[in-house]
Amino acid sequence: MPGSQKAKGRVYVGNVDVAAKRAREILMKKAKVGKLVDWATAFSLWPVHLTTSCCGCEFAATWSPRFDAERYGALPWVGARQTNMILIEGTVTRKMACALRVTWEQMPYPKFAIAMGACALDGGIFYNSYNIVRPWEVIPVDVFIPGCPPRPEAVARAILELQRIIREKDLVGSWIAEGKRPDKPIVKPKEDPCAWWRG
Amino acid sequence: MSNSNITQEVVERIKSTLGDLVKGIEEHKGFVTVYVDPENLVKAASLLKSMGFDHVKSVTVVDRIKEKVFHVGYHVSSFSDPELAKVVVELATIISREDDAKVPSLTGVWTSAEFQEREAYEFFGIIFEGHPDLRPILLAPDVAEKRPLRKDFVVKEEGIYRE
Ligand code: SF4
Repeated sequence: MPGSQKAKGRVYVGNVDVAAKRAREILMKKAKVGKLVDWATAFSLWPVHLTTSCCGCEFAATWSPRFDAERYGALPWVGARQTNMILIEGTVTRKMACALRVTWEQMPYPKFAIAMGACALDGGIFYNSYNIVRPWEVIPVDVFIPGCPPRPEAVARAILELQRIIREKDLVGSWIAEGKRPDKPIVKPKEDPCAWWRG
Repeated sequence: MSNSNITQEVVERIKSTLGDLVKGIEEHKGFVTVYVDPENLVKAASLLKSMGFDHVKSVTVVDRIKEKVFHVGYHVSSFSDPELAKVVVELATIISREDDAKVPSLTGVWTSAEFQEREAYEFFGIIFEGHPDLRPILLAPDVAEKRPLRKDFVVKEEGIYRE
């Protein structure tokens, strides 16, 4: 990797020396604090445990010892309040859309979403169903992973991609400073996904 | 004793227990289907329970739209009697196909039928009379109102490819 270290938005996976050097550079050059926040957030993307469908098995495999996604600084966590990323695992049914939206609203910003599987893209094998919704109609999705189900490598790749997006677009720093996400409009579901529940 | 002999024996026992409640009986490789009239359903169920069939494995509905009937079936079997555990008996009844088709609930006989009757209710709109808590269980109520597994329910075609 040396030589290409200065490439913009590069992710230094698992190399503590390079990561520390990068942090020092940021501090010495008196760059914006936002840059440091971006850098730090990219390495602590904690997905919330919300298993909507069968892709959840691959999600579990991604964090198992063989693929070990924890080396990217991502760790699945139970409480929505302590997480900053949501990984939608496959099909989202009408009822689960409510749970998804409630979980999303509980998470503190800055927060990001990855949608996994053909079902989350455009319905997958359930494309003509009376009972599913597209997750991108419920929450704003940053990265899509195609596949049915996607391999754990693909999930790991999506995490890296999200890290790259965060660092290239300086998302987190300006999000905190301005109170709203700089690059994307707010997604509000056209119809309330919890309408059936609120009555 | 081979499997078909066991099935034969169970068929004979069911015939002698239910007597003239039985409208028809079919058997095939460990599966027995007993047809009864809807008004005799609860009585037949309690007789089957007294034989040793102690739980419902599934409640299923077939929408035979051409004949304008619903086939409602309870698959029952036994945990307590090892001989009966080898067969699955379907207690079936045929009701006419209406918007609010009614059938007596068997929750009073087999508690394990409760959730499955709710499922048959939301997917087919069959009203189980005497059910303690007849609400949709899996679907959101607005979807359940459309009775999605009836044959005349049409899903909105989305097309595989979209622009
Ligand atoms: S994409 Fe495939 S594996 Fe994933 S939820 Fe859909 S059907 Fe299941």
